[in-house]
Amino acid sequence: MSILTRNIIISLGITILLIGTVVYAINYLNQKRVAELNTIEDQLSTDTLSVETQYALLENAPCEDFTNGSSTEDTQLSQEVSNIGDKLSYTEDKLGSNDPQVIQLKDQYTLLEIRDYLLTEQLSKTCNLNPTIVLYFYTNNGSCQGECNQAGYDLSYLRQTYPSLRVYSFDYNLDLGALKTLESIEKIQPTFPAFVINHKQYYGYTSLSDFEKEFPPALFATSTSATSTASATKSTK
Amino acid sequence: MTLEVLTYPFLFLAVFFEVFLLVTFLSAPAKERRDQKLSTKTPSVAVIVPCWNEENTIKGTVDSLLALEYPKDKLSIVLVDDGSTDGTAKVMDTFIGNPQITVIHKKNGGKHSAVNLGIEKSPQAEFVGCLDADSFVAPDALREIIGYFDNPKVGAVTAAMSVHEPKLWIEKMQHADYIHGITLRHVISSLNGLYVTPGPFSFYRRDMILSVGGFQTGHNTEDLEMALRMQRAGFLIENAPRARVYTKTPKTVRALVKQRTRWTTGFLRNVIYDYRDMIGNPEYGTLGLIMLPLGLLANVSGILMFIVIIVQFVQSVINRYTLTRGVPLSYVFRVHLSLFNWFYIPLTGVLLLSLITIIGGVTVMLLGKHISKTPGNLFVGIITYVFLYGFIAPFWLMRSMYDLITGTKRAWR
Repeated sequence: MSILTRNIIISLGITILLIGTVVYAINYLNQKRVAELNTIEDQLSTDTLSVETQYALLENAPCEDFTNGSSTEDTQLSQEVSNIGDKLSYTEDKLGSNDPQVIQLKDQYTLLEIRDYLLTEQLSKTCNLNPTIVLYFYTNNGSCQGECNQAGYDLSYLRQTYPSLRVYSFDYNLDLGALKTLESIEKIQPTFPAFVINHKQYYGYTSLSDFEKEFPPALFATSTSATSTASATKSTK
Repeated sequence: MTLEVLTYPFLFLAVFFEVFLLVTFLSAPAKERRDQKLSTKTPSVAVIVPCWNEENTIKGTVDSLLALEYPKDKLSIVLVDDGSTDGTAKVMDTFIGNPQITVIHKKNGGKHSAVNLGIEKSPQAEFVGCLDADSFVAPDALREIIGYFDNPKVGAVTAAMSVHEPKLWIEKMQHADYIHGITLRHVISSLNGLYVTPGPFSFYRRDMILSVGGFQTGHNTEDLEMALRMQRAGFLIENAPRARVYTKTPKTVRALVKQRTRWTTGFLRNVIYDYRDMIGNPEYGTLGLIMLPLGLLANVSGILMFIVIIVQFVQSVINRYTLTRGVPLSYVFRVHLSLFNWFYIPLTGVLLLSLITIIGGVTVMLLGKHISKTPGNLFVGIITYVFLYGFIAPFWLMRSMYDLITGTKRAWR
């Protein structure tokens, strides 16, 4: 065997090894991301149960005690829901929306969101609070890529600018019984992006300024409230 | 399918080539060449210096030749003024009277004609070298070179080029490129794969040049054409990695693009028009199987990678603008904490393979500096090479491709 042939074979072997390492590294990182999401979601499940228990314990307590006593934890929980949403969106971008692990994580995340939404609703009724709640339905099937991306980004901005705003984002096409029930209760049509702002449906997205007109003016008036609760949102793909 | 996917085959080839260089560097033929001792033989040699409008550098070039550690009676220098229109002729004439130097003035006929005339006027020389009039040699360079002619099949020996006193960033960037070239030539010559004998201090067996018919225009790259022709005739090209020669390089991007366009177009025209039979031909070993095919592919990949990067950048800017146009800039440009979270490390195949190629390239540069013992600091050169070269090179690649397709002829300078 000539030196040229030998060197080509060795170089090809090393190149394939290097590329294999690259593929392994990317795959390993993606698996670590999924594991991280699993860990966070497990923690969130516990946190959510804890909050539910708190609600139950404080059912007969004055609302001031409840809101004063648990507002910090509630903010942390909601913030965690938001963070996991961002991470899940990033992971979905990396692994693809058809990846079985991504779908499973989205199912879990959606359940957490619905649970958090129900608790918020319950708290609002019990204590006569009026948080602005947005349910945001998007789709990844390509029919609303630009509009949904913009809506997701603008909602993130609104959520961070107006902490009393609560945003819950849902992939409309996710095959999850609880989500289908929510869509049915809120009478969501398959036109995207779709929003439910304080139980009122709103379809399509043009601009942030137009979108802001759909919110109650009180939201913007109390934007700097220190006692407001955080909310959860998920940027769409 | 994203645009990125198109870059994977070329990234694979880039990684393969850098690995191939490093593997071959460690192979016995390359080691033997690095271990080669200075020659004690002193055959008669002539150095031809073809000049066209080099009044500022010609004196330094000749002075460096006169300082070569070689018996004066065995070294003759032939200065050929190829119809210069500046003060070159006047500077040359100051050397008349030096017994080692012959000064010739002729009408402008192109570099190849000047070199051929110089060879014709050096009948006593067993070996003839060329030195561009903007280049300067290290005192031991000739003795480093001459030993490689012990093998009678060797028709030419090339030197280790780097940039003369690089000061500007663009000179430092080219310096890094040239240093990369030192290892490249050293390694590839050990497998007989060189396709150019550069103007700065390449030496030839005089008989060989005459037997293959002397230099030709060679699509404005007479050194490349000669290298291919002599290998087709069965001669080998060696490289002396410690024979240091320093050359002046373009000081502006525009001048660099013009120079490299000439080189690249010359390569494409010579290989595609006149030496197509050598591409992929196992008879020519490394040259035919690796260097010529990869040389052609490198042109395509350089352009493609550049287009992919530009398209993706423009898409990203447009998407970002579209996405954020309604939101206050204070929110858009705030520092996101997520940037510092391992979860969001943007590791992609393209990024990692590019990184591996860059690490391989930088290693090759450091090896080049080490084996040639080229003085100076490479740091700025490497930085500018890594971050800027890839954005400038596509311009001469695209221009060359355009010239090739349209048949456009451009002036030498």
